[in-house]
Amino acid sequence: MVSLKRHFKFLIFVAIVAVVVVLSAFSFTAMWEDPPIIPGSGVTEIRMLSEWLPSIEGTMLDTEVYVINGSEEGGKFLLLGGTHPNEPGGTLAAVVFIENVSAISGTVYVIPRSNHSAFTHNDAMEGSPQFFSIQLPDGSQRVFRFGSRRTNPISQWPDPTIYLHPTGATLGGGEVSNLNRTFPGREDGYSTEKVAAAIMNLVLEEEIDLVCDLHESSPEYPVNNAIVFHQDSAELAIMTQMMLEMEGVDIRLEESPVNLRGLTHREIGDNSDAQVVLLEVSNPSQGRLRGKTTEDLVTKGIDKFYLQASKDGKLFAPYDESGYPLDLRVARHMATIRVLIDSWNMMFPDRMILLSDIPPYEGLVDGLGTYLNPVS
Amino acid sequence: MNVIYTPEVWYFLVMLITFVGLAIIKIPISVSLMFSALAGSIVFGEFFPLRHLVEGGFGYIDTILVIGSAMIFMEAIKVSGLLDTIAGNMTIALHKKPTFLLVLLTFFIMIAGMITGSSTATVLTTGAIAFPVLKNLGLSKRRAGSIIAMSGIYGMIAPPINLPAMIIGQGVDMPYIGFTTPLLLMTFPLAIVTSLIIGARQVKPVDLEEFRKTREREPIKGFAVYLPLILMVILMVLENVSWGFSLGLPLIFMLSAIVATITGAKGNLLRISISAIQNSLGILSILIGVGMFIQIMTLNGVRGLIVGFLNGLPQGALLAGIALGIPAFGAVSSYGSASVLGVPFLLAFLGNNDIVVCSALSLLAGLGDMVPPTALAGIFAAHVVGEKNYFKIWLSSMPAFFITMIFATITIIYSNAVGRFANSWYFYPVFIVGLVIVAVALLLVDKGKEMPVS
Repeated sequence: MVSLKRHFKFLIFVAIVAVVVVLSAFSFTAMWEDPPIIPGSGVTEIRMLSEWLPSIEGTMLDTEVYVINGSEEGGKFLLLGGTHPNEPGGTLAAVVFIENVSAISGTVYVIPRSNHSAFTHNDAMEGSPQFFSIQLPDGSQRVFRFGSRRTNPISQWPDPTIYLHPTGATLGGGEVSNLNRTFPGREDGYSTEKVAAAIMNLVLEEEIDLVCDLHESSPEYPVNNAIVFHQDSAELAIMTQMMLEMEGVDIRLEESPVNLRGLTHREIGDNSDAQVVLLEVSNPSQGRLRGKTTEDLVTKGIDKFYLQASKDGKLFAPYDESGYPLDLRVARHMATIRVLIDSWNMMFPDRMILLSDIPPYEGLVDGLGTYLNPVS
Repeated sequence: MNVIYTPEVWYFLVMLITFVGLAIIKIPISVSLMFSALAGSIVFGEFFPLRHLVEGGFGYIDTILVIGSAMIFMEAIKVSGLLDTIAGNMTIALHKKPTFLLVLLTFFIMIAGMITGSSTATVLTTGAIAFPVLKNLGLSKRRAGSIIAMSGIYGMIAPPINLPAMIIGQGVDMPYIGFTTPLLLMTFPLAIVTSLIIGARQVKPVDLEEFRKTREREPIKGFAVYLPLILMVILMVLENVSWGFSLGLPLIFMLSAIVATITGAKGNLLRISISAIQNSLGILSILIGVGMFIQIMTLNGVRGLIVGFLNGLPQGALLAGIALGIPAFGAVSSYGSASVLGVPFLLAFLGNNDIVVCSALSLLAGLGDMVPPTALAGIFAAHVVGEKNYFKIWLSSMPAFFITMIFATITIIYSNAVGRFANSWYFYPVFIVGLVIVAVALLLVDKGKEMPVS
């Protein structure tokens, strides 16, 4: 009788676990599907990152590379979005670029989901929303994922206690699943290192001239609303900042620290001839001071605790009652990319990158949905 | 006053009251944490937070695996006779110098933490090895447990591996470079002082004849019995010095445990594993509950309320907030505390010596491993010494805990001066001379304690 009771308890327990597993699996696997990106007429080719590192083909790491080829010869520009999928401003700016921009001369490679695997899950204990949506003028909505800073453990687990970077630097073990700490990567390394190696191969094989990596940072972080540049790109970054300031967009300059290893602006700059910058814009939905973590916080960027912190002088970015909406964040990125390209063209007229239909700053601030194509 | 009317305050109270209420009616802590997380989610308006509970519950999966496998390793070396062998040999070698041996054991315990960056792994490995020797020296269970727990924390903070410092540094893009000397300065002197405060008065020379008569097991002769320990150290070091060699701590502990079952007294790995996991199931489940609790706290804004409140304190109160807040938040996780509170606090002290401030913050975060309900270092130290009531160990550790807290706070205030000393050419000479002076002083103290022993 006792044995029967114990078996019954065990069966009940197993049944509860099975229900939890099945129900939560529906929720988690919903993030495995890529929301559509609707390329604009400027996109001439869609390739896969695995073309530059075949070992990632067919895995969660592989991701689309959108190519925008101009009819005339020119410079080559690589735009990275989604290096950190919990920084949606960077991803959305890359998507808006793909869906609108055409090239007259030169070639642009855009990777909107650079760490593709990191889009398929959320960071534990961060309470993040899985999805957020943008309203389009026709009333429809485009849905995007709010992912993680790190590669999905399904692709890479476990991480070591200590991450020994190829340069010999020592980083915390978890950073081996952070794409922006694993450059220049290892072709036979951890999954995230492979993604970095594939991007590095792309830079070298396609002879990329200019790389721009799109990010967001929490408002209490010192490197905020900034251009971080490799020392070889100082002149380009300074010119971009001056031109942006003339347009009324405040932006800071930060030189890439030599000791801070694994980041795009340090490693791609050190290991190739490309000029490299990384853009940061303030995002309250990823900061530690934020209040309730909701879809609204991601898109509208309004948070009372950040407002208080701003009044207390604790932030490195301006913040008021209007918050820091996604429209503004994408607008800042797009304006910086436009001016960066203009500066490039002034400095390197023999490798001109002429682009058209870049969405204007004011238009994006009014509503980024205007510049997203409806899903038919 | 505005803060009182913030909904997050009420969410927090609901979570707290639910937790305390359930704990009072003897519901296990882990289950209480889960239900308080559920309550916090429901009052927030998220009525079916299954995904959040599962996601949060997996937040500490790596830590859970490390603890589970370390417990199996510990049980295996106990069964194999390695623990008794080392304890017996160390006692025989240094039986006339108990105070010196006490400090030496403290350093010995710290070694595992210095390699793994985990106080739990330290307590369960070198802590478990050191306990029989501490017992032979005359220390009570609670004092021995207290020394083991605090040494585990100092070991976790001491260089070369300090995960809380790395986590805080990563939050502000500060490379983990230049931390060795500040961390040496912040851990070894504290380890000496606190082990003496806790144990110096109790230790006494060992009567070898009595010891040989009363010990439960004879030391195992030969080199083979040490193999699991040697293998573990080699694998841990290799993991941290060579790229491409990454077994992970759980596998390292399991491999070493397997070796232990065949190199000393023979053991049954399955039985050892079941016993070890049964013993650690309580704390492992608490970690799952804590993950759920933090996930919902972050979702409903309670985490932001706490961080914002502490970060918004005026400068003087800010130091008190740091000294109390970081260890208190460490009650749910020292690594979590380093990430959530350590980063904004480091930013609040920008302009001082960032490396020293970060090191001091990591020390405070490490103290969180002594704060209930998780109190990983304390609870596992209690387990190692066989003390059922963890709070006895907690009480014994309080002087060391507060000394460490005050020391870390003062270090933050004088971070620039500390940084200048830590970076000076004379740091290592002064540090080494200091250790030698301490060693000589301890040996003199032991000479005074000497009694006729056979």
